[in-house]
Amino acid sequence: MADAGLQTARQLLAAVLEMEVADIADDAGIGGLTGWDSLAHMRLIMALEAHMGAPLSPGNVVAIGSLQDIATVLAGGELSVTGF
Amino acid sequence: MDWRPGEPLQLETDRFRLRSLTPADATITYVSWWNDPEVQAGLNFPARGWDRQRAIRHISQFNNQTGFHLGIFCKDTDRMIGFFAAFPDPQSKVAKTNIVIGEKDYWGKNVVQEVRARMLSFLFEVMGMEKVKGEIQGRNYPSIFNYKAMGFTCEGVLRSDIPRFDGGRTDVFIFGLLRDEWEALKAPAHD
Repeated sequence: MADAGLQTARQLLAAVLEMEVADIADDAGIGGLTGWDSLAHMRLIMALEAHMGAPLSPGNVVAIGSLQDIATVLAGGELSVTGF
Repeated sequence: MDWRPGEPLQLETDRFRLRSLTPADATITYVSWWNDPEVQAGLNFPARGWDRQRAIRHISQFNNQTGFHLGIFCKDTDRMIGFFAAFPDPQSKVAKTNIVIGEKDYWGKNVVQEVRARMLSFLFEVMGMEKVKGEIQGRNYPSIFNYKAMGFTCEGVLRSDIPRFDGGRTDVFIFGLLRDEWEALKAPAHD
């Protein structure tokens, strides 16, 4: 189940960044992917909200910074706002 | 650095020149940013309906001491593409900052991080600030990204804190960077 969630997150991120799914590593995050810039980040949040059919929580909006974070949000989790 | 409080400020990065704006910089382009719904939405404002005189009044309120309003100019063309505002408080030693990239062909071109990095050096090293912070009003995702990417900490989310310019309410995100955090972040560049 966790792997399926990570794969969905990978597909979503790949679509936003216009990259191949296979090129996105498990530890991908801001700063590690050249295409993940400010506009891509906006597209990512909007794609996530479209996928989930609801606005993200304020905490998740500000905390998303990695592939793992995206998978957590897709699974309905709440990320830690501080400490990144 | 050859600059005294109250004097116009000029700074440079690899691609850009930052300098204190004067009334002569209230060009049609500058005024248009204040009247552009897409640009203003990032500040949680509707188009302002400003004319040149209103823009001149805005520019004239900055004293280059506790308030800076710096135009961002491309070094190769001298084209103004946005501005950076900073408000260093000498008592608390905390500076608030804000940045607007008005020319949309420069969105997503890493202007914010390049310019803010230079301003951080000025605010910490020259102005003696202990902290620099920014408040994001509304869900300005590119701005959130830039603060995160530069090592700022999200110190809090004020949920549903202010009215949205187009109805409803919106959150306010507070980002901050302390002097020692900034020194740690810049350290690798000097190895």
